[in-house]
Amino acid sequence: MAWYHETLSALGALFGRARQEREMDEEMAFHIEMETRRLVESGLGAGEARRRAMSTFGGVARHKDEVRDERGTSWLRDGWSDVRFAMRSLRRRPGFTSVAVVTLALGIGATTALFGVVKQVLLTPLPYRSPESLVMVWSAWKGFDQTWLSYDEWEGWRARVRAFADIGLFSEGSANFDGDEPERVRMALVQANVFPILGVQPIIGRNFTAQEDTPNGPRVVILGYRLWQRRFGGDPSVVGRDVRISGEATTVVGVMPADFRLPMDFGADGRTEAWFPMATDAAQNGALPGPEFPRGGASHGYHAVARLAPGMTAADANAQLRSLVAELEQWGYMANVGFHAYTVPLEEQITGRVRPVLLVVFGAVGLVLLIACANVAGLLLVRGEARRRELAVRVALGAGSGRLQRLLLTESAVLVAAGGALGIALAWGGVRLVRAAAPASLPRVADSTIDGEVLIFALVAAFVAALMAGMLPALHTARLAPAGELKEGGRGSTSGAARLRWRQALVVAEVALAVVLVTAAGLMIRSVRNLLAIDSGFDAGHVLTMRISTPSAFYPDSVSVAGFWDELQRRVAAVPGVEAVGAVRLLPLATEMGDWGLQVEGYTPPPNQGTPGDWQVVTPGYFEAMSLDMIEGRRFDARDDMGGTLAMIVNRTFVQQYIGARHALGTQVRINGSDSTAAYTIVGVVDDVHHDALVGKVKPEFYVTLAQFARAPGSTRRSMSLVVRSDGDPDALVGPVRSAVRAIDPRLPISEVRTMRDIVNTSIGGPRFAMQALGIFGVLALALSAIGIFGIVSQVVASRAHEFGVRAALGATPGELLRLSLRAGVKQAAVGLAVGIVAALLATRVLSSLLQGVTATDPVTFVAVVAVTGLVAVAASVGPARRGARTDPARVLGSS
Amino acid sequence: MAPDPRPDQRSEVLQGTLEMLALKLLAAEPMHGWGLSLELRRISGDVFDVNQGSLYPALQKMLRRRWIRAEWRATENNRRARYYSITREGRKQLEAEIADWERTSGAVNRVLRYALQGG
Repeated sequence: MAWYHETLSALGALFGRARQEREMDEEMAFHIEMETRRLVESGLGAGEARRRAMSTFGGVARHKDEVRDERGTSWLRDGWSDVRFAMRSLRRRPGFTSVAVVTLALGIGATTALFGVVKQVLLTPLPYRSPESLVMVWSAWKGFDQTWLSYDEWEGWRARVRAFADIGLFSEGSANFDGDEPERVRMALVQANVFPILGVQPIIGRNFTAQEDTPNGPRVVILGYRLWQRRFGGDPSVVGRDVRISGEATTVVGVMPADFRLPMDFGADGRTEAWFPMATDAAQNGALPGPEFPRGGASHGYHAVARLAPGMTAADANAQLRSLVAELEQWGYMANVGFHAYTVPLEEQITGRVRPVLLVVFGAVGLVLLIACANVAGLLLVRGEARRRELAVRVALGAGSGRLQRLLLTESAVLVAAGGALGIALAWGGVRLVRAAAPASLPRVADSTIDGEVLIFALVAAFVAALMAGMLPALHTARLAPAGELKEGGRGSTSGAARLRWRQALVVAEVALAVVLVTAAGLMIRSVRNLLAIDSGFDAGHVLTMRISTPSAFYPDSVSVAGFWDELQRRVAAVPGVEAVGAVRLLPLATEMGDWGLQVEGYTPPPNQGTPGDWQVVTPGYFEAMSLDMIEGRRFDARDDMGGTLAMIVNRTFVQQYIGARHALGTQVRINGSDSTAAYTIVGVVDDVHHDALVGKVKPEFYVTLAQFARAPGSTRRSMSLVVRSDGDPDALVGPVRSAVRAIDPRLPISEVRTMRDIVNTSIGGPRFAMQALGIFGVLALALSAIGIFGIVSQVVASRAHEFGVRAALGATPGELLRLSLRAGVKQAAVGLAVGIVAALLATRVLSSLLQGVTATDPVTFVAVVAVTGLVAVAASVGPARRGARTDPARVLGSS
Repeated sequence: MAPDPRPDQRSEVLQGTLEMLALKLLAAEPMHGWGLSLELRRISGDVFDVNQGSLYPALQKMLRRRWIRAEWRATENNRRARYYSITREGRKQLEAEIADWERTSGAVNRVLRYALQGG
């Protein structure tokens, strides 16, 4: 029952406060009056009696406080009056208040925004049923660390790897949605078991049936949610209807949920938006039916996703695959190429590469928050300094020291609340910025939002910030002794030495943390510069690219396709500002390339190894448009058309591996699958182009023209990227080039309009993102530390004004005084710098995996950091130090 | 009345004991705060100096716990004063505290006696 009474009494007390106050006053007045009377009766003078009576009561104010405390509402009412008091006193110091609030807002905002990203990418489960038991299955052999599966392997693993409950294949491509507004859409072919393996159902309609997933089955499609909204206005009746896709009537059987993606769509630049049944079998793949393997090799072209059987782990699956592969190699399948097969848990597959980047950036933002808190703590300390007299008077008047601490904590809480609110607004903007700026190669980052959980994080961050920033100043006040304080008098005295040391420690910590951040940023900047300095083999500046497809419904044969490209290039070349134009099968750094088996004259591969070459199909203008460097021979030209002699250009690595010291020009190369009479002659050698990634080994690569590729091996490339070199801003060409395409054939969809520069940047998205984030945080950290240094020099100069005055009077020059005051800031900065360098040497190791061409202890970076931090420290100190140097002895000494 | 003894000869009333003593006095008759403080000092032979700073908060606490109640009444000199009187719950509390006190002081006495004999 006690709690009940207490609550009632507390409520009653709260509401009847005025009455209670009156009663308390009256009761005390009565007490003092009676006590005075008693003392007078005992023989004291009236005045003395009253004084004595009062003194037995102690400070009247404190006494009332304590009675109120006993009534149980004081915390509430005091809290509110503390808040009002804090707001009043903060308003009186707008400069201090805005610096503190903005500092906190930056710290809390940046941390919250980054948490929003981290939560989305690393903490939110993938949109599949039990994603933890899903794995991607890969093959690998010499030169290929992670490549696709063959049909035989799929059949074999499905039948013989017990760790898999099921395994399904999919592959990617694109499709034209015809109509008034034709659209090129990224699509995937999936086996009927892929969606069930992922555990995702269409939201309307149904999955593919086994019958639909057979060769020559009915033409059906499942739509992605966004495509469904975009092209069909979200009309549910589209299910069951026929739509025209790439010229063929296709029945829509279902629509997938909005957040659905295939595993490889995370991190790709563009997700698949329509799914067709794979509808293939062993015969179509040239594979043996059932879990049988041929001797020799096989064509590898399928992604595979598997669900682990209950109780099985990815490690179990890998062990079973290992023993199975050992057995197959004995038998002669993929022998002598170091073939192996393995699984990667889906989560690791999708977020594995981005995880270290995000963790580094999140750690960095945590340091920024720490610096912000240290800075505000420092500001509060200074403020406490200025208010010591005020606070001492309050203590002397009877305010309890607990009450004072509460007052100060409230003040920092009010600051943090304002900073937190502003910070959440910043975080909201920050997340939008990250979403816009994040390269597509960082999976899931673009889906980041500020939701309830992120807001809770912001509140926790703000609470921690309030504690960290407010604790130190509050503890200081606990030791406030009014007698000493008031005795010290009006002049700034040296008794603040202990407090100054605390501030100095804070500034040292700030500078040290800033040094760690700036070092990390410096390393990333160097690293990204190194990446960009790698000779990619092409010139990415001023190049515009776009993907154009020529469906067989409109362009039945290779002659019509070649005709279209000739006409398009002629028109584009005539656009003002265009320097060169060409087309290519796959843009470098945009899509990884597979290889094609070759026979090179005079080259015999080791047993059981082929002569693979990455195959590139181009139009003659491509080499000029990309500024590829020829090592010898010639580029393609008008000779290399459909009727001309078959001509091939190979890269430097091709020559090194397959031709060696012999003459490359004139060497005959046959592409497997071609007519036995069709041999290409090498007419040129081009420098290596880094196709799959900027770092890593270049593979042998060959180029043939679009027109001649149709002759041998005899297939028509229906999808090509147009490459346009501009003499100015490539983006300015988008409109004119689009018009040129429309003028020839308005039915053709254009997709993936990008500059080559964007493609390069996207390919190094992780390091670039880390560089940008660390760069921003590093600058922020330096700025905050500069504020800290500025503050401490100001304080030192102010507190030593008297001493400076004496020195000036004794003949010290302004230059000497300037040095003296500068020393105050530079000394802390130097200590912070030293501590920070040691910390950075330890901390930057976590960056190792992101670095390219620099070590985590790169001396150039460290020297630069020392220089930059030193400059900032001096710059921040100069302003207040000059005030110190101008100390006017007459004024300072006259006032004492 | 004799002049006050010098302050340092008095001892502060132990916090818990103050409540017990106040309840004991109020059990005899309702009193106002000043009267209570006077009485406490008198009965204890001026040994206990009740700091007013502790008395009123203690009264407030006991009010909140419903051990005592307060009402405004006229004094014998016709001054308005706040009189405190003990409640049923207060009496129960008093009995409990007295029993507790006796147990504790008895224990302390036994220890002291033992220590003196043994020493």
